[in-house]
Amino acid sequence: MSDPGSGELLSLRDVTVTMGGHAALSGVSVSFPEGKSTVIMGPSGSGKSTLLKVAAGLVPPDAGSVRLRGQDVFYLPERKVMELRRTNGFVFQDGALWENKTIFDNLALPLQVHFPEMTRADVEKRVVRSLERMGMEESAALRPAQLSGSERKIASFLRALIAEPTLVFMDEPTLAIDHAVAEKISLTIRELKSRGCTLIAVTHDPQLTSTLADWLVVLEGGRLLEAGSFDAVKRTENSRVRSILAQVLGEISSYDTDLLELLGHGGGAEN
Amino acid sequence: MVAALGRWANRKAREYAYGLGFFFQVVRETVFFVPRKQVAFRVLVLQILFTGVESLGIVSLIALSIGAVIIVEGGTILPRFGQTSLMYSILIIVITRELGPILTAFIIIARSGTAIATELGNMVVSHEIEAYISVGINPVSYLVVPRVLGVTISMVALTIYFNFFGLFGSFLVSQLVKPVPFLEYFRALLRALQLRDILSLIVKSFVFGIIVSVVATFQGFKVNVSVTEIPRAAIRAVGQGFVLCFLADALITLIYYV
Repeated sequence: MSDPGSGELLSLRDVTVTMGGHAALSGVSVSFPEGKSTVIMGPSGSGKSTLLKVAAGLVPPDAGSVRLRGQDVFYLPERKVMELRRTNGFVFQDGALWENKTIFDNLALPLQVHFPEMTRADVEKRVVRSLERMGMEESAALRPAQLSGSERKIASFLRALIAEPTLVFMDEPTLAIDHAVAEKISLTIRELKSRGCTLIAVTHDPQLTSTLADWLVVLEGGRLLEAGSFDAVKRTENSRVRSILAQVLGEISSYDTDLLELLGHGGGAEN
Repeated sequence: MVAALGRWANRKAREYAYGLGFFFQVVRETVFFVPRKQVAFRVLVLQILFTGVESLGIVSLIALSIGAVIIVEGGTILPRFGQTSLMYSILIIVITRELGPILTAFIIIARSGTAIATELGNMVVSHEIEAYISVGINPVSYLVVPRVLGVTISMVALTIYFNFFGLFGSFLVSQLVKPVPFLEYFRALLRALQLRDILSLIVKSFVFGIIVSVVATFQGFKVNVSVTEIPRAAIRAVGQGFVLCFLADALITLIYYV
């Protein structure tokens, strides 16, 4: 496994998570470099989303530790937890919007929590500006149930970014949405990357992977198979990793191109 | 057999420890609720509206009916024993000390207990709770404490309201059976009413409010991954709420007479 070096932001050590008697993650140790984009890949049920949630401090592991800049995220004092949450954003696979709130309130709540000094007018300005960027300003007063799947995904994405985080976790940000919306989200992700945000994403999207990935983490059956720079993993000798990469991306994409060529096309590692 | 018993005991002990931990976290977050100037204040107001204000109709109806039943039954039986004067004491004992708090608790369990367990269970399944954590909101502080406070405040207020309506209902029916002047009726009621009856009412409704809300929120949060767990959580919230309210009622009544 490649070492991310001195720029290590987040590290998981021997993380084990058991769900309903089944080991979702078994002894996973992996590091995520600061300012880089990491894509977590693996077949369905391999523990990708669980790994992302553990790394984000949303699901505590049954064993092992998660350290952000050397501090265990599950043993932080309250003030530090708030700082962590303000600087981190999480995009959920299914949106996870608060159904009893309007889209405006979904986006305003994180601001009210983290910036209590902001006036109502300032909160409104920030939320409206954010919605306008994605062409959703007319949906502000709607409830999540009144939105389409793509709009829900955008709203979830905007909520994660509303407090301008520097570390963003994304669980399938472009899954099950139409092409135009996927393009908008991909563009925003690229902007985040160019601003130097640390991005950690679970995705099956070959195009997003090719433009995003500086680092790759490959899981199977809750175990870490490979982790390292995009180039290193791309050229791995591990046939299982090569097979999984081909299988996972092949299932989703309609590309006949050789997978490794496809991954190399966007030159993520060269960025 | 012994191993199975051991596993069962172990599982139960862990469940109780988890429940106790949840309760103490609720108490801790409740203490800090006001000083922290919570954004959850709106949730508290909405909970009082749902549990308290929206229950006024059904509470009025049940209180009037109970008051009427007691006055009719008492008015029929007591004169046979020459104990008509006991009517007012019976009204106070039954409505203020016993039926008022427990019936109000039942109404709130049926309406708010199930609603809270179902709502929170749905939020768990749709990852809304994780979304709260991801933006730095403590779910106990934001979702549980306003519900506990809202239900408890509503329970105390509704129980007092139940008493007024129950006693007023009995007066209305007494006008049909054996008319008594308004002032005479309420003077007799006040003579029968003791300070410790009011204290018993307040203590019971307060304890029932805590029980109903903590049990409902706990059961809602116990939902794990599947929507099929949600109705079971609602049923457990009702069942445990009833049992614990009865036990607490018996305990408080025992203390009252000791």
